[in-house]
Amino acid sequence: MSMIRKILVLVMLFSMLLTACGPSETQAPPATEAPGTTQEPAATEAPGATEAATEAATEAPATAASGEKVTITLATWAGADESNELQAVIDKVNAEATDFEIVHQPNPADYYTKIQTMIAGNTAPDLMWLSQEYVANFADNGAIMDITDQVAALSDMPAAQLDDYYPGSIAVAKYNDRLYGLPWIAQPVVLYYNPELFEAAGVAPPDESWTWDTFKEAAKKLTVKDASGNITQYGTAFNGWPPIQMFIWQAGGEVITPDLRSSPIDSPEAIQGEEFYSDIIYNPEYAVPEEVIKEQGFGEMAKAGKVAMFFGGAADDLDYAYQNDPQNARLTMALVPKGPKDRTTFAWTAITAVSAQTKNPDLAVKAMVALTEGIHHWKVLAPRKSLATADVIAAAVPGKAESAPIILQAAESMRSFNIIPRHAEWDTIFWEQFQDPLYHGKGTVAELAAAARAKLEEVLPAE
Amino acid sequence: MVDTGSWVQDYSLTLSHWLLVGAAVILVIVLTNRLLQSLGMNAEAATGLALIMPWVLGFLIFSLYPFLTSFYLSLTEYNLLRPLSLDKLPPLVGFKNYQYAITDDPNFWPSIRLTLLYGAISIPLGLAGSLLTAMLLARDVRGVGIWRTIYYMPAVLPAAATALLWRWMFNPSSGLINTILSPILNLFSLGKPAWFTDPQLVLPSYVIMGMWGIFGTTTVILLAGLKNVPRELYDAATVDGAGLFGQFRHVTLPQVTPTLFYVLITSMIGALQFFTAALFITTPREAGTFLQVYIWQQAFQSQKMGYASALSWIMLVLTLLLTLLVFRSQALWVYYEGELQQDGKKRVREPDLVAGTRASQQLSEGQPTPHGGA
Repeated sequence: MSMIRKILVLVMLFSMLLTACGPSETQAPPATEAPGTTQEPAATEAPGATEAATEAATEAPATAASGEKVTITLATWAGADESNELQAVIDKVNAEATDFEIVHQPNPADYYTKIQTMIAGNTAPDLMWLSQEYVANFADNGAIMDITDQVAALSDMPAAQLDDYYPGSIAVAKYNDRLYGLPWIAQPVVLYYNPELFEAAGVAPPDESWTWDTFKEAAKKLTVKDASGNITQYGTAFNGWPPIQMFIWQAGGEVITPDLRSSPIDSPEAIQGEEFYSDIIYNPEYAVPEEVIKEQGFGEMAKAGKVAMFFGGAADDLDYAYQNDPQNARLTMALVPKGPKDRTTFAWTAITAVSAQTKNPDLAVKAMVALTEGIHHWKVLAPRKSLATADVIAAAVPGKAESAPIILQAAESMRSFNIIPRHAEWDTIFWEQFQDPLYHGKGTVAELAAAARAKLEEVLPAE
Repeated sequence: MVDTGSWVQDYSLTLSHWLLVGAAVILVIVLTNRLLQSLGMNAEAATGLALIMPWVLGFLIFSLYPFLTSFYLSLTEYNLLRPLSLDKLPPLVGFKNYQYAITDDPNFWPSIRLTLLYGAISIPLGLAGSLLTAMLLARDVRGVGIWRTIYYMPAVLPAAATALLWRWMFNPSSGLINTILSPILNLFSLGKPAWFTDPQLVLPSYVIMGMWGIFGTTTVILLAGLKNVPRELYDAATVDGAGLFGQFRHVTLPQVTPTLFYVLITSMIGALQFFTAALFITTPREAGTFLQVYIWQQAFQSQKMGYASALSWIMLVLTLLLTLLVFRSQALWVYYEGELQQDGKKRVREPDLVAGTRASQQLSEGQPTPHGGA
């Protein structure tokens, strides 16, 4: 027994010694030396370090008055490259801040599962990235903080001036007219095309005169078959991307009305958009088959010069990938074709939200606003009208300089989804009971839309 | 170059936490030992109980508590985004979640059907393949140790990595399987199967993929079971004129039934919990969703953790029922040596799930193969 006692005493002494030597919980981790050597590997490979940072934020709310910076944790889905770039932004924000230090916790795999588990375990990060469709849900369940008043109090900071945001972008950060985050990106869908293939087929490049019919005709002409009838070059590629909502909007329809009370996917306008989409997707005459997309990825096929026209996000590297690797096809950006009503394009929007569990709400909001300002000078497109200039775009991503005028034009007609708290459920029904059967010929547009509408409206908010 | 100072600083806090846990474990052992002895228990028994106390506490805290909590949650409308606390308990809904699953959920029964169908096809094929492989590995051939190592390697590969590998192999146009099949398909003017993108072929694709499991733990356990078969039985069978098939049918097969029984139970539970590969490989909606994947979707995508808990409990009951069924069936097909009653009738004995473990132990003792392959 005396031996056990000795071992126990030694282990405890050693533990206390190590605890004393370890970094203080309120002390920020060492700053990175260069943007290329970020803390991302440490954060992803060493759970212990992450836990320590989380504890620092949630268990020890240090005060700025003590002279030490308060650690504010930020969870994102950024992968390795994006993390490196984000860390450079964070370093700059941290260098200018006197009272907080943002620590990045990247979770590139299974991000939302991890975030929800952290929230359930009361160990949520102070700040978190959320894609637009999650905002209402997180806000409705009290997982993120209503920051309306805090942001109003910081109106001297450029990113806190809400009037500067595109209305469609700031709308996704709101729930019940209260603000729950700030958008850091609004990426409109644009059309990438391969000028060489257009020239070879004798088709004029897409311009503002293009309509749905022009697009479909061009797709047919741009499809090339070999002697045995196998397609060697496709006109276009759809597989659920671009979102069908965009074409429904272009025809004047809605999938969720602005008052969030109905899902009129069986309206004549909506059906017009749905028929156009279902006619193109996996069309054996000119569109890439489903299994080939799964196998090769249509973005990669476009880069490889196998697809002539491809809908992509404005921030995608399709128009400048050839600069990094000459093997990639040289693609050019154009506006999406115009629908029967207008040229509305979908904008993928994401926000940074503040956790309702943060122990430092005011500092967390301040850090979020400062970080948002930094990200707005990194990502394309910053969702603010004052930053919607070719110079800002070129400074953020030099490869986008040539495409900047098109991006700015697309931004004028971009919009996001109308979001409901049970959006994930709604989306699952929309896919499983409408889109998937429609794309696989399991019914007509009208039949499927009428049947799915009832199911979709069951998950809309009650009166 | 690794910055040692920074590394030590980054990890020291974590390391100190681990050491504190270690110290706490030792403290629990010591205190339990003293408490039990002060209550009059003899030193040997007290020490034994004290040594298992950390495990008991670990089981109570990390297994039993979540287990019981999940049952409670299955009776509520719990949402992960609303952390549990005593002053904010989720609303109780009784057995509504169970009722909804069984009577109203359009996806529940198809997912049960797919999961059971997968198990019903893949388990017999897997067991037959494993037994065959084990019999091959039981033969005294040169370098058998190397072969056994090679055949065990799939068991140590991460499930996610093998799922991605199989996804590539099943790729319709550039995958290895269709490349191998293409001469035969061309001969009969047949198109290339689309495997995971064809709803009709999704289940067969998963079953073929599941055969990967033949080479791994199951084979090793069966191999150990084969090594338990006494050589004299083969000698007797040979004297009686039994050929290779006769030896297999009348000696090998009956003798390995306890091991097969163990492997069947574990394989069945594994099939019902089929998850990782199904999550990594996207398949058409028509093909259905495995029950475990559906539970995950309900929990983390639809955020219905209460409903997901109910589905988990239904799965548990289903697993228990099937396991019970297999247990009851062992009287019909599992042979336990030395259990014949005086009148020659087979006596039913208590289930013996340690057969596999016992077989594994004997394998590790390096006993020579008694039968040289049957």
